[in-house]
Amino acid sequence: MSQFIQFAMTRAFLALITLLTVSLIVFTLMELVPGTCAERYLAFKNTQGSQITIADIKAEERRLGLDRPFVERWVKWVGNVFIHGEFGDSCILRLNINQLLADKFWISLGICMAALILSYAIAVPIGIISASSNNAFVNNSLRFVSYLGLALPNFLLALIIMLFSTVFFGDSLTGLFSKEYRDAAWSMAKFGDFLSHAWLPVFILGWSATAFALQTVRALMLDEIGKLYVTAASARGVSGARLLWRYPAKHSLGPVINSLGFDLNRIFNELPIVALILTLTEAGALLFESLARSNDQQLAGAIIFLLTASIVALNFFTDILLALIDPRVRRGMMG
Amino acid sequence: MFWKKKKNDGVDQRAKEAYFTASQGQLIWSRFKGNRTAMIALYALVLMVLMGLFAPFLSPYDPTIAGRDTTYENGAPQIPKFWDENGFSVRPFIYATERERSAKTNFRWVVTEKRDERLYLHLFVRGWNYTIFTLNWDLPGTAFDVDFALIRSNLHLFGVDGGMIHLFGTDASGKDIFGRTLSAIWTSLAVGTLGVLISFVLALIIGGVAGYFGGWIDSILQMITDAIRTVPAIPLFMALAAFMPDSWSSETRFFFISIILGLIGWPTLARRIRTHLLTERTQEYVLAAELCGASSSHVIRRHLLPSFTSYIIVDLMISFPYMVRSETALSFIGLGLKDPVNSLGALMQNVSKADVLLNYQWYFIPVIFFIALVLAFVFVGDGLRDAADPYSGTKK
Repeated sequence: MSQFIQFAMTRAFLALITLLTVSLIVFTLMELVPGTCAERYLAFKNTQGSQITIADIKAEERRLGLDRPFVERWVKWVGNVFIHGEFGDSCILRLNINQLLADKFWISLGICMAALILSYAIAVPIGIISASSNNAFVNNSLRFVSYLGLALPNFLLALIIMLFSTVFFGDSLTGLFSKEYRDAAWSMAKFGDFLSHAWLPVFILGWSATAFALQTVRALMLDEIGKLYVTAASARGVSGARLLWRYPAKHSLGPVINSLGFDLNRIFNELPIVALILTLTEAGALLFESLARSNDQQLAGAIIFLLTASIVALNFFTDILLALIDPRVRRGMMG
Repeated sequence: MFWKKKKNDGVDQRAKEAYFTASQGQLIWSRFKGNRTAMIALYALVLMVLMGLFAPFLSPYDPTIAGRDTTYENGAPQIPKFWDENGFSVRPFIYATERERSAKTNFRWVVTEKRDERLYLHLFVRGWNYTIFTLNWDLPGTAFDVDFALIRSNLHLFGVDGGMIHLFGTDASGKDIFGRTLSAIWTSLAVGTLGVLISFVLALIIGGVAGYFGGWIDSILQMITDAIRTVPAIPLFMALAAFMPDSWSSETRFFFISIILGLIGWPTLARRIRTHLLTERTQEYVLAAELCGASSSHVIRRHLLPSFTSYIIVDLMISFPYMVRSETALSFIGLGLKDPVNSLGALMQNVSKADVLLNYQWYFIPVIFFIALVLAFVFVGDGLRDAADPYSGTKK
């Protein structure tokens, strides 16, 4: 048991290091985006009619601490994020980022998680069936469908679905909430309304994720199915679904659990584009907005960091989970 | 398997010999040829690459704004015909069009086909000037400028006399979508190739160093690689692309996008190279080379890298569609290549407008090419992977 705790601690420490590295990357990116907070604040003053000079900008930079060395500012930012969970203010929207994001980030995370679950709910059974069946037609068509998930871009799928629903149902299926719930507080009714809108982004994000998941499950199953222990089990008279579930499937799902974090990564990738097309009001759309339109580095940095942090967290949990359920991994990891 | 077909035969002996003396490349190729899906995909891929390469020759009009058809904006595709109610013609033809704006058409431009006026299709017509295999570098200092073109010509495969033909229709400014699609294939392939090359070199260096030296160097490099792998790529692309000023020319944007794609694409390959090197470097042949006094760069280059060149090639092939896809996604959201440059992503950006969805469906034609391109790459990559795996044949 103490060994297990030690293992979990090591993993947690590693995850923390990864997060720190990520925060450095994100912070560097934020610095790359043109414009600084000082310029933004003074540009706003300029619109209010007051004259500004270079000296004003320098003074403002000093006030905001922007003249400090890069590393010092990074440490301050990271410190605020890790200790207080505070991302500061967005210089463009002049709002506290935590308030701005609050719900929206959880909605995004929820949608992505739902897409992830959906993709594996489809991919695991179908992948196992396809790996164990010798039917060339079934296999080839599955291969084709899953590659189509890669080739047919998400945004196109979203567009086509929107087009059909507009033409046939007169509803474009966009957005996340109906009008009356948009600014309402969370309630059962609002949640129901949310679900009735959220299925489309979940489906679209799950579409290409399913293709990948199917590929992985199938490849892993094919590797395991040819092994001797499976032959031995079937020689002992175990057959059918029982054979598949108890022997190769159990083994091949380990690596799948391990790669969940990267699947979530892939889904996050698609989120801003899908959000843009379906005009969702959540973090993905905000991210797009802040990067492509307004150069709002504070907001963008916060969102990218949160997305990555949730991937790191998921990776951590899957590592622990894997160690709990798979004795081989436990032994390998804990030495 | 092909060498096992006839067992005790004279010819078989020779085939066996050929098999055992064949190089890795020959083995992969012979296995690849047996895979019908992969071969079809390969033909399609080669066809599309050639189409992209000879795009200026194949497309009758300049795909930029210079080649626009001012009298046929948002025009439907014109498909050459051999006959109509006025009789049969050996030479395929299309109809001339006429644009009208008056009280009758509610003061909007309305294009009508004149069914009695035929425009005949001709092969090998003269048109706009173009160059193929162009190398045009404008480096600092005049001595380094390169301006080279293999083919300079104004010959085009087809065209019509006294009018213009648009096989895939035209876009809002009257540019020929056929020509744009072909040149877009080339641009997207070029961006993908550059991106793959950059990420390949990075992966080779970083993965090679991490895998060969191991120890703390490996740990630190792994940490960095993993951190980059965890950050979702598209938001990262977007952040880097937001750095790109609007004032940059399309060529600069093109190179910058390729570099971004390359800078972010390396971790997966680097990890694979590292794992391979970690297992290979404890083998006897490495020890032997080291005992003979070979330097570490010599060992990496001459002994370790050749041991898995084929896997690297397969990996590059597989990562290609992801590059093209990323480029498309970036261009689609308006952060990648923009309109004057024809990339598949830039063309797809036009599709997203409601007006286009409902009225001008021929804007979707480039999308079909994109899907075909990605599918071809994926199937070729898959076939190569199966062919490069020496155990693939023994399993089934």
